Amino acid sequence: MFIHNFKYAFKTLFRNKMLIFWTFAFPIILGTFFNLAFSNIENSEKLDIINIAIIDNEDLKLDENKGIKEAFEQLSDEQNEDRLFYTQYVSEEKAKELLENDEISGYLIIEENKPKTVIKTNGINETILKYVTEQIMQTTKIVEDLATEKITKEIQSGNIKIDYQKIYQDVLDIASQDNVKIKNISNTNLSYTMIEFYTLIAMTCLYGGILGMTSINNSLANMGEVGKRTSVAPISKGKVIISSLLASYITQLIGLAILFAYTIFALKIDYGTNLPLIILLSLTGSLAGLSLGIAVATLVKSNENVKTGILIAVTMFGCFLSGMMGITMKYIVDKNIPIVNKLNPASMITDGFYSLYYYDTFDRYFFNIASLLIFSGILILISVRGLRRQKYDSI
Amino acid sequence: MKNIIEVKNLTKEYRNLKAIDDLSFEVHEGEILGLLGPNGSGKSTTINCILSLLKFSKGSIKILGKEMKPDSYDIKKDLGVIFQEVAVFEELTVYENIDYFCGLYIKDKTTRKKYIKEAIELVGLEEFKKFYPKQLSGGLLRRLNIACGIAHKPKIIFLDEPTVAVDPQSRNSILDGIKKLRDQGATIVYTTHYMEEVEILCDRIIILDKGKVLATGTSDKLKELAKIEEKVTIEINNLQPEQIEKIKQLENVDEVNYNVGNLIITYKKGKNNLGELIEHLKKENIKYNKIYSERPTLNDVFLELTGKELRD
Repeated sequence: MFIHNFKYAFKTLFRNKMLIFWTFAFPIILGTFFNLAFSNIENSEKLDIINIAIIDNEDLKLDENKGIKEAFEQLSDEQNEDRLFYTQYVSEEKAKELLENDEISGYLIIEENKPKTVIKTNGINETILKYVTEQIMQTTKIVEDLATEKITKEIQSGNIKIDYQKIYQDVLDIASQDNVKIKNISNTNLSYTMIEFYTLIAMTCLYGGILGMTSINNSLANMGEVGKRTSVAPISKGKVIISSLLASYITQLIGLAILFAYTIFALKIDYGTNLPLIILLSLTGSLAGLSLGIAVATLVKSNENVKTGILIAVTMFGCFLSGMMGITMKYIVDKNIPIVNKLNPASMITDGFYSLYYYDTFDRYFFNIASLLIFSGILILISVRGLRRQKYDSI
Repeated sequence: MKNIIEVKNLTKEYRNLKAIDDLSFEVHEGEILGLLGPNGSGKSTTINCILSLLKFSKGSIKILGKEMKPDSYDIKKDLGVIFQEVAVFEELTVYENIDYFCGLYIKDKTTRKKYIKEAIELVGLEEFKKFYPKQLSGGLLRRLNIACGIAHKPKIIFLDEPTVAVDPQSRNSILDGIKKLRDQGATIVYTTHYMEEVEILCDRIIILDKGKVLATGTSDKLKELAKIEEKVTIEINNLQPEQIEKIKQLENVDEVNYNVGNLIITYKKGKNNLGELIEHLKKENIKYNKIYSERPTLNDVFLELTGKELRD
């Protein structure tokens, strides 16, 4: 019975032209457009050293923000193979002039002990400057918090001879092991095209929701006529739903496999050595997409067309916030309303992809995998309440 | 006679509206029971409650002597349901649709193949096995809908208005098919608002309105409730009021209505009412086009019981 239902669920999904368009054709069409649109920007895959300025005067107390200063010095060091910036220390007026003349991508100013980046336009260099600044801020905060914690513990334990040098070294060791360590990205193939392809994969993963929603609609009596007929058959609802969702998930994975094959072999996209991790993230992302579809199908009381519209709108909006129409959007959301992207599965997926490029360790990558699993688990748990219902008030 | 289905004091409420109001009835083994009533009378709601798809406020439902629950798979395996709306997959062919739904009941592939063949023959879809639903006319689609519900040879079949919006040829084919199913031993519950269908098809009829049973019985038994013996309709142009008054004075005449060239006379009793009427028309030199006599219909019964037409 399970195989019988699985077989026909698979057939119905594969023959549904609307589903095939959204899950198979649309990402391929979009990928082709991305490739055409961004191929001109792909002349240089390696990032150049970025010209920036840091405002340095007595009022701004740059010396009191050692962490920031040292980090930028290190990233601007000529001897450093991973050099990211060419940094000039200038007055604010001079920095404005340099920015106006496009001699720098942006400048950094310390205000109330917080660094603020000033840019003229949105571009990859500007985005990297903002991103690195954010990461340095996070690292600095971690170091400060760790040091404060250690010193407080020492004081509480009655130690009056505190070895500040040792504490400082211990904290640095911890921070250097943490996921905040910025990886050299000057030699990676991170580019506009890659960023767009990551969001494209994220979108494809989430479009799996349409497949999940269709499966649910065909299984439940309150969702449609086929669901009514299935519900009066001598087969448990769980068996019907699980076999249908499995068929949806496999269909979704086939769609992703086709997308990967197309981008790798036809569009010559190089996913580098991280392909297995990208695939793992895609599998998890697809599960999140499927769960989103199940939740919309179960919780939204409306017809199938309205539900499909809601699902596509949510997915597209999620992808927009995660940077599909411009990476700056992801930065703006991360900075101003971080909770939105913490709950946005598209952002979890794209962030997982970025983390493979930005960090030496996989902590942040696995954090995103875990977030996606938790997201899927919560949605499935919420949906189960509706799915478990045996009888309805109205159908 | 063995009761296959027993519905006792069934009540279903939607907020303040009683969709089914203390409904009780039985379905006997091997019969075709017709649930007749206008749209919104509670026919489909009753079927959905019996099938355990809908919650109900009060009452009990037993099928084959057991209480019906959503997980009563031992009962469900003997049920076949044809819903009012066509319930098939657009992406599957005629054959695949029947195979899918039949496969939810019958595991053995050889048996299933035989049953599907028989179901296709029963509804006359032999030439359309490889067609997709969107390639079928409305009537053929309804036939497919029926085949999907009965291919597994159920003992009890629920048909919820299966002939709505169906052409006369398909309608006859569907009604013939239902008779065949009954002849093969199935017990059938048939809901409709077409009185002609229940008269042709059903052994027993339950007339429903506003979720209540108004009357139960055979077609002939129910017609006795109409309190009229005969209804004569005559096409007459320009009938004068004094001529109508004279007709009212004729023996056994109960009521006379003249509207848009149609004179309708109802008789409560009498055997040769039509002959006497023709004699009167001849004597009064009243010219008429058509004249015909009818026995009371179930619509007259419904009119008598509720004061409104069945199709209002």
